[in-house]
Amino acid sequence: MRSGLRTRLRSLFRRDRLEWDLDRELAFHVDMLTQQNMRAGMAPGEARRLALRHFGGIASVKEAVRETWLSRTIETFTQDVRYGVRNIRRSRGFAFVVVITMALGIGANTAIFSVVNGVLLRPLPYADPDRLVVLRQHQPAIGNDDMGISARELDDYRAQSNTLDAISEFHEMWFILLGGEEPQRVSTGVVSSNFFNVLGVRPMLGRDFVHGDEQHDAAAVLILSHEYWQRAFHGDATIIGRVFEMNDRPHRVVGVLPPTTPYPSKVDIYMPTSACPFRAAAVDKRGSRMAQAIARMRAGVSLEDVRSDLGAIARRFANADPALYPPAYGFSATATPIADELTRSFSRPLLVLLGTAAFVLLIVCASLANLTLARIVRREGEMTVRAALGASRLRLVRQLATESTMLALAGGVAGLLVAAAGLDTLVTYAARFTPRAADVRIDRTVLLFSLGISAATGLIFGTLPFLVGRLSPRAPRCGRATPASQRLRTALIVAQVAVSFMLLVGAGLTIRTFYKLQQVDPGFRTDHIMTMRIDLNFTKYDDGLYERVPFWQALEQRLRAIPGVIAAGGAGTLPLSERGRFSNFIHVEGHPAPDTARHPRADVRFVSPGYFDALEQPLVEGRVFSATDPRIDDQPLLIVNHTMAQHYWAGQSAIGKRVSGDGGQHWGLIVGVVADTRQQLNEAPRDEVYVSMFERGYLSGNWLVRSNRDDDSMIDEIKAAVQAIDPDQPVDQFRSLADVRRASLAPPRLTATLLGLFAALALVITATGMAGVIAYSVSQRTQEFGIRMALGAGRGTVLAMVLRQGLRFVAIGLGLGTVGALLLTRLMTTLLFGVEPTDIITFFSVALVLVVVAAIACLIPARRAASVDPLVALRVG
Amino acid sequence: MASKSDLLQGTLDLLILKTLASGPMHGWGVAQKIHVLSNDILQVNQGSLYPALHRLEQQGLISAQWGASDTNRQAKFYELTRAGRRQLADETRNWERMAGAVARILEA
Repeated sequence: MRSGLRTRLRSLFRRDRLEWDLDRELAFHVDMLTQQNMRAGMAPGEARRLALRHFGGIASVKEAVRETWLSRTIETFTQDVRYGVRNIRRSRGFAFVVVITMALGIGANTAIFSVVNGVLLRPLPYADPDRLVVLRQHQPAIGNDDMGISARELDDYRAQSNTLDAISEFHEMWFILLGGEEPQRVSTGVVSSNFFNVLGVRPMLGRDFVHGDEQHDAAAVLILSHEYWQRAFHGDATIIGRVFEMNDRPHRVVGVLPPTTPYPSKVDIYMPTSACPFRAAAVDKRGSRMAQAIARMRAGVSLEDVRSDLGAIARRFANADPALYPPAYGFSATATPIADELTRSFSRPLLVLLGTAAFVLLIVCASLANLTLARIVRREGEMTVRAALGASRLRLVRQLATESTMLALAGGVAGLLVAAAGLDTLVTYAARFTPRAADVRIDRTVLLFSLGISAATGLIFGTLPFLVGRLSPRAPRCGRATPASQRLRTALIVAQVAVSFMLLVGAGLTIRTFYKLQQVDPGFRTDHIMTMRIDLNFTKYDDGLYERVPFWQALEQRLRAIPGVIAAGGAGTLPLSERGRFSNFIHVEGHPAPDTARHPRADVRFVSPGYFDALEQPLVEGRVFSATDPRIDDQPLLIVNHTMAQHYWAGQSAIGKRVSGDGGQHWGLIVGVVADTRQQLNEAPRDEVYVSMFERGYLSGNWLVRSNRDDDSMIDEIKAAVQAIDPDQPVDQFRSLADVRRASLAPPRLTATLLGLFAALALVITATGMAGVIAYSVSQRTQEFGIRMALGAGRGTVLAMVLRQGLRFVAIGLGLGTVGALLLTRLMTTLLFGVEPTDIITFFSVALVLVVVAAIACLIPARRAASVDPLVALRVG
Repeated sequence: MASKSDLLQGTLDLLILKTLASGPMHGWGVAQKIHVLSNDILQVNQGSLYPALHRLEQQGLISAQWGASDTNRQAKFYELTRAGRRQLADETRNWERMAGAVARILEA
């Protein structure tokens, strides 16, 4: 009987072996025929020829045999399917529960997997992505991981490296593009002409940059990103050749990129290095490191080769110019595969999510296995009849597996719909971590994955009850509530409780993280403050002191003059925003650096005089900047934060102390100390030095306007205020500071939401499963309860008995779950803030939730048990 | 199916089962035994025999195993399973009933 199934399985999976067996079998037959002929007196050759002829075409015999393999498989399969459909239609309730449960489990897994697939698995849309590396210079002795790279240094790497085929250059700028419907601020990737060639991306329309575009006096040209071309020009193919004005020069569009993963960052347009006015000004300064470098490794060269090659070049740099590469800071260069760079910050949250989703699927499996087990008990009669009619046990198992797989596949399809519905949110989430988020979609791999896990889930929950039950082939009354099957049900429930507990702990930790973050006091107010961003046109505001500073001064005045506005101020970067901060090495007068490893650093922030008032960031000592501060070139005025003042001048006044940002060439004078604020909610305040925006002319600024009005109502007046100073000046990115804060909390909030959803799902499934198991055991014990009550047991006693039974499962599950959680939550440390991965409060309250929910789940069947009428119960027995 | 006399559908299966009832046997042996027992009337064609053997194996009525033949060569031996034995009994009864019915009609 078993060999039958084995042959069929073999016929599906081990075709070769089967064919070989058949060959041997038929060859034996022919040999026997030959021998018979020889015994009849024929010569061996003649005997064999006749035998073959008599056998009548080995190929056709084989074909006929093969047909039996196949047709039998198909025949029983269609039989199983037909019968399964009939069964499912008979038990719609069961089918509904299975499909819904599966849809949620598969939906969660498909959604997360599609992100994993897009971000980690899909090949990068570059040619030979394995050979692409990011080239980076660093100063390990002072913890400077990425010091940037200058144009001169790049030239030297190109000339000296013998492991890299090509090195490309990239830096990002904001420029204003004129010539469209209105002036537009565009993020611009300034790239070497070989940039797209190094990546292996070809423009979809027009042409790539060529070497000539990068020459000093070449006509300025642009390539548009696919996304910007769609957004700003609605995919207009006649864009090639159009001329826009930027930086006071005509720029001609020569190409449009295909949709691709942007690296190093997502920009609107690209221009060759020669067209960037900033780079042109700095190109000869070896120490002006504004660029990033992407290189293509020579074929057949290993990453280690590249690293040692770069290290050797870096040593030559350092030896040749100790002033530019201070030996005390350490200096080296290294290469990192581009794939690692793209996903570095996202792998951890993604793996936690994937693990969570997998656990949810486990619970789904366990719960559905339990449900199936209960259903088999009800189908016992049918099974017995079919077994009596000659159906083998394996045939019955397969029948059930076919049914459950059909249901699971239906659930899988529903799960795909669930996943598709949630995908946009996930992509937005992923986009905060990696530019590869753009590659997230439900493609063939994802489809195969979700159908695969659906089928696997169906097989597992459909056959687990049989396989674990160790039921003999002679007793196909497999579903009977034997001790074995009851033990299995208990084990499944305990496992569900354990896994649910782990998921709940994970969710609890991330939710507590989110609340902790939300409760963090940043040290300034965030309500009733509108923010916006202004980037001045570089060519129009060429001179810092005489053109830009007057603009910012005028802007501060005009903003403050808007009715309802209480204070207005500008800053280089907004607090709590995702944009990186600017950190600098400093020298503090009277505090020589103890050693290079602890060389002091501070965050340098550029603010206008009104900034502190706009944020209500309190002044601790001294004064803030004033619009009328005299400019003293040799001694700029500085304000430091409380942390920094305590750091260097604890117990004395910081006022009048001096700090240098350029190794002691110029010293700034501290005139004020302000209270601490957090630049990021999850980071403690760091040493900060504030420099006046009016001290030097900055091109970009984020502005904050505090008012007693509704934030949005002011946008038009703010635009008017800007345009009153310069009608061509764009102003955008209007956001309330409260929104900025909310946006900074979006990743932890979404992590908490997703884990919370998964855990809630697990809890509901587990609770239902528990109620089912208890209800069944109650129905089995109806007589027992009747007798007990007839003998005087009260309702309470019976209730307590049932509850105790259920809570024993929970207790065991909690014990196992705690061990699992202690082992696993450690992996979440980087996702947490303000809570330990073993946070006792979380563990305890989550356990409490589980116990309460489980108790409720037990109580429903328990009440039924307690309301048993002893008379009825005994008579039924 | 048979060269000298047509067999009813399913009869070959019955003959194979019957042949195997006395013990494990390879395909060649089955063919020879049917030939001999039928007094050389029935000669089973290989094109029918092997598909039938494989079909019966897949139905779980017979099982197969490699073993050594009389001449000490590797051959695939078939053996009745428990289900096969039951099937043989059922089919034999059916056959007898059928044959009896046909005989009665012919004698009438």
